[in-house]
Amino acid sequence: MGFRELSAGIMASLLTLLGLYYLNAVVSAAQTLDAVPAPSVPLIAVTTALLVVGAIIAHTVVAAVSPDDANAPEDERDRLVLWRAGNISGLVLGAGVFAGLWHFVFKSDGNLFFHILVGSLIVAQITEYVCQIIFYRRGV
Amino acid sequence: MAKRPPITNRVKELREAKDQMSQSALAKEIGVTRQTVIAIEQGKYSPSLESAFRIARIFGVGIEDVFGWDGD
Repeated sequence: MGFRELSAGIMASLLTLLGLYYLNAVVSAAQTLDAVPAPSVPLIAVTTALLVVGAIIAHTVVAAVSPDDANAPEDERDRLVLWRAGNISGLVLGAGVFAGLWHFVFKSDGNLFFHILVGSLIVAQITEYVCQIIFYRRGV
Repeated sequence: MAKRPPITNRVKELREAKDQMSQSALAKEIGVTRQTVIAIEQGKYSPSLESAFRIARIFGVGIEDVFGWDGD
């Protein structure tokens, strides 16, 4: 398994865990308030900080194990994999934004709109990393 | 799901015939990563035309001696 494939796996796992953490926090708050909670800056800050710290630690460990792979520049196959995965991810993000916008049109709930956008962003990123792994493994 | 390209190749055979050249050495000469050479040998990735010519030149053969078409 190459560094980039491993990196995509790490990021997909981290984002899935932190996405579930974020979702759990929002759902818990919604159950307590009996309404969609307003965006929480501390929650977003903590989630982002955990993602950054987790990614740095994991990538440092992987890079230490295979420094040559980690330092190798992107080649033609990497660029194709990243482009195709990014393309699919963009479609997922677009679908999420579209759903959020229409939800806002009918419900006029800005808080829900915010959470739909954050969720779409997380799902789109996970999709991108999962697609990268698939393309690296099954061919592109 | 990504479809396998209908292109066959003899990269592994030619590499091994060239003094057991390593995948890393071939990758370095082409200018790609070792993972890309592995993917080419496994038929999971078709290299760009430029890389295909580079591979053929490294082995001192024509491009059609390295790559073949296995589709309709």
